[in-house]
Amino acid sequence: MATVTTRRGKAEADRPAGRDAAVSLLVPPDAGLRVDAEGFERLCAANRDLRLELKADGTLVVMSPASSDSGRRNALLTTRLTIWNEAARLGYSFDSSSGFTFPDGSVMAPDASWILAERWRGLSPEDGRGFARIVPDFVVELRSPSDTIAESREKMRVYLANGVRLGWLIDPMTRTVEIHRPGREVETLTRPGAIPGEDVLPGFTLDLSGILTDDA
Amino acid sequence: MPTTTIDREPVPTAASPEPPDATLVLPPDVRLYVEPDDFERLCAANRDLRLEREADGALIAMTPASTVSGGRELTLAAQVWNWANATGLGRAFGPSAGFTLPDTAVRAPDVSWIRHERLDALPPGEGDRFARIVPDFVAELRSPSDRIEKLRAKMAAYIAHGVRLGWLIDPKAGTVEIYRPGREAETLTGPKELSGEDVLPGFTLDLTDIVN
Repeated sequence: MATVTTRRGKAEADRPAGRDAAVSLLVPPDAGLRVDAEGFERLCAANRDLRLELKADGTLVVMSPASSDSGRRNALLTTRLTIWNEAARLGYSFDSSSGFTFPDGSVMAPDASWILAERWRGLSPEDGRGFARIVPDFVVELRSPSDTIAESREKMRVYLANGVRLGWLIDPMTRTVEIHRPGREVETLTRPGAIPGEDVLPGFTLDLSGILTDDA
Repeated sequence: MPTTTIDREPVPTAASPEPPDATLVLPPDVRLYVEPDDFERLCAANRDLRLEREADGALIAMTPASTVSGGRELTLAAQVWNWANATGLGRAFGPSAGFTLPDTAVRAPDVSWIRHERLDALPPGEGDRFARIVPDFVAELRSPSDRIEKLRAKMAAYIAHGVRLGWLIDPKAGTVEIYRPGREAETLTGPKELSGEDVLPGFTLDLTDIVN
């Protein structure tokens, strides 16, 4: 006979209504809620289906699950990065659910990221726990229809300010890719077919078919 | 073999839809902080929750009351309303009415009452938001999930901000704590009724269907 399991633990289900019970809060965009680092980790544990980030000033960013189409593009992106990485063996690639704690206190989860092998291996167990205290060498943001371009650019600014060496902002809506590098003007490519990983990801070229465009 | 490529025209940037509200599970041990304006928007998005804001910006989110607690609340509120209506001295408010205290905390007591002359002195439109006014009288009913220390701190804060009479009613324990300015809280065990004293002149609360 089949068994039915529910995701709610017994303790949660039995918790009485009222002032000290867990509640489901509807959070509008830009709700301006703030939380400390410890509270943020608890929120993440309680909200596995949401994508949560923490800004340096303690502002909580609550994102719904990605649309199906954004998730499809993201899967291609992560797959291509990981296939290169498996062959090159130079570092570690991370998917969009991986959160990192930055020096400015923000906790962010890029849509794809990559860290040089010796940096990741050199993390102390304490710094590697939970949202690891490390800044990826490379990040990608894939703009989804619900992201404003200003929000996506602000994320890239935070990444670079914290030490990311190469950042790509891929915008399927305008068919453009912005290349962000420390100390340099942002370079915008219109309808590129592929983009090179430069000296950060040696030998990697991201084929953008199916990611920037709809063909795959 | 021929390949087909589909490349739809880019969607204009301006078409970015406003993302929908996300549903966040807020465990009781996590503190969120919110500014007054954002608090009002949060309340508008969560009509079914009872939200309060501490002076330091901490958000207090409460589920709707249990069935039994909700019934007790109405029993209490109805008696206060009846008295207020009969005397015409002021207006009674239920648990969904929010007030902004001088320290910027926003509170929604289970029942409250304010004298007419103080309400009439509010600036136009002030009553359409969480009005900056301290009730003359408040009552809080403890529900099974409420920690008593939190409710006591709340009552003490009400009094510190100018509430002239506060009742903290604990139906399970059968006790009532009476808060008055400049005096220690008085605890009554198993009272059958409460006097409105000089704050609610002539009012007597019948506790029969409120306290076990």
